[in-house]
Amino acid sequence: MESATVALGHAHADEHHGPPEAHESSRIDKQTLGILLFIVSEVMLFGAFFASYFFLRVVVAPPSWPPEPYELPVAVAGINTAILVSSSFTIHYALEAIRRGNKQGLKLGLVLTWMLGAAFLFIQMNEYVHIGFSARDLAFGSIFYSLTGLHGAHVFVGLMLLSFATIRAFRGHFGPAAKDHLGVEVPGIYWHFVDVMWIVVYLTVYIL
Amino acid sequence: MKIGISEEAVFKWVVIVVVAAVSVIALTLLTRPLVGALWGLVLVLVASWHGYRWLRRKWRES
Repeated sequence: MESATVALGHAHADEHHGPPEAHESSRIDKQTLGILLFIVSEVMLFGAFFASYFFLRVVVAPPSWPPEPYELPVAVAGINTAILVSSSFTIHYALEAIRRGNKQGLKLGLVLTWMLGAAFLFIQMNEYVHIGFSARDLAFGSIFYSLTGLHGAHVFVGLMLLSFATIRAFRGHFGPAAKDHLGVEVPGIYWHFVDVMWIVVYLTVYIL
Repeated sequence: MKIGISEEAVFKWVVIVVVAAVSVIALTLLTRPLVGALWGLVLVLVASWHGYRWLRRKWRES
């Protein structure tokens, strides 16, 4: 009787408890699928804003772009672009460091990335203060603030993710194995996406 | 083997996008915005074609 109870206990221990196992693709791992779907949805969101921008610029076609007497600070935005591009290099440095087991390098890379991101946002806010038009000034003002503001919101979210990653790095949560630094890898991919989107915004709004 | 993604692979694309953007900026400043825009369009089409082929190859290998 006692042995039968023990056998029954073992049988129960082997059973799966909790919610059913999630279905997943046999061809693509779930992290990759998740981030790809997220990035595709983000590209569509930005795409809607770019469609509005090109509609206003090409289809409505005002006599000049930006409309007189507005001017865009191309050089300041160029420096800001360089700052954001540099931050992609520093986050890459942070991840290379943790892959080699260098935890000091990880902390340094993350802190530098955070500071560069914060500097980008600060310069952008300063640009808004001194640019001389608001979102209520013509459709040009609306689309300018919508596009750059949408991107700025993404930088803000990225800074939040980097803050969590940096705090965890200082608490020693990350290690060299791939599964042990996923908390930096995923914000890193997001940060690169934000960087690439800014390059597209800068080219479209300030250069072309 | 399942299709995966890493920060390293994404970073390579960032470098490629930066180089492409510099070429568009240079062309726009040297000529006219329309020329820069057309060059940018060509680069986007080439990148899309490469991306599609890469994904198809990875899908077959998985």
